[in-house]
Amino acid sequence: MRFVRAAATEVVGLFVGDWAQTAVSVAILALGWFTLSHIHVNGLAFVVVVALAVQLVYATTIEARERVRRA
Amino acid sequence: MYAQVLTFGAAFLGSAVESVEALTIVLAVGLTRGWRSPLYGTLAALVALAILVAIFGQLIVAKVPETTLKLVIGTLIVLFGLRWLHKAVLRSAGVIALHDEAKSYAETVSEIQGTAARQDWVGFTIAMKGVFLEGLEVVFIVVAVGGTSGGIHIAVAGGLLAMIVVAAIGVVVRKPLAQVPENTMKYAVGVILTSLGTFWVAEGMGAVWPLDFVSVLGIAAIYFGASRVAVALITRPRPVPA
Repeated sequence: MRFVRAAATEVVGLFVGDWAQTAVSVAILALGWFTLSHIHVNGLAFVVVVALAVQLVYATTIEARERVRRA
Repeated sequence: MYAQVLTFGAAFLGSAVESVEALTIVLAVGLTRGWRSPLYGTLAALVALAILVAIFGQLIVAKVPETTLKLVIGTLIVLFGLRWLHKAVLRSAGVIALHDEAKSYAETVSEIQGTAARQDWVGFTIAMKGVFLEGLEVVFIVVAVGGTSGGIHIAVAGGLLAMIVVAAIGVVVRKPLAQVPENTMKYAVGVILTSLGTFWVAEGMGAVWPLDFVSVLGIAAIYFGASRVAVALITRPRPVPA
């Protein structure tokens, strides 16, 4: 049972570290889906890339600050 | 061609990193308790992982329509890649410790000690659990990247080759592979997977990329640049209050 629980935790952990960050990433992708399915402009998808990249910078710096504060 | 190279590269690097971690566990058990039980445990885990690749690989290739595949699996690859990239940034900035195989080895050895009465069962279980859990990430990379790119065989070949190389080195050196640049490899896999995932998920959304698959290089440049910005922001000296 412990092994199954560990495997399940491992599977969820593959995709989710911080639920808030995951939610933001999914929200960016959902917004991108809505936009890209309505506006067919070549290269517009790079906006989604930039949004996800900015989210990465924001989430990592916030987590780093919190870890430093806790330490 | 680019897709095949990146598929093989992601599967090879991802599998190599996880194989190094699994090897550390197997070595710790084998060198402390003898080889029979951990080798059976490793074999059992590898069979289970191969079954997962066969089942999910076949399901994905044969049953899921291409657009749905790109949208759903692409999203999962983005989340998976971002998670690796997130950790790589924090490790590069010195916020979390680099993965240390020597330390993992010592921890596993200390976990095993004091279980003499059940040593065969313990050796089997620890090796199987370690290899299976580390291998889950490889299974995901191989099935998701291979299935979505249409190159499941290339991904399987990349994963298997990495495993064989790491196992061969492990047999020769018989100690944890502490010199392997695991964190750099994880960083690279994070960038590659996030880029591939974003490319496919956007295609699933109906987007058209300029220069088609070559765009992945541009996407990777953006993610890599962003990760370096994050490291620079985290490590920059803070102004001292007057």
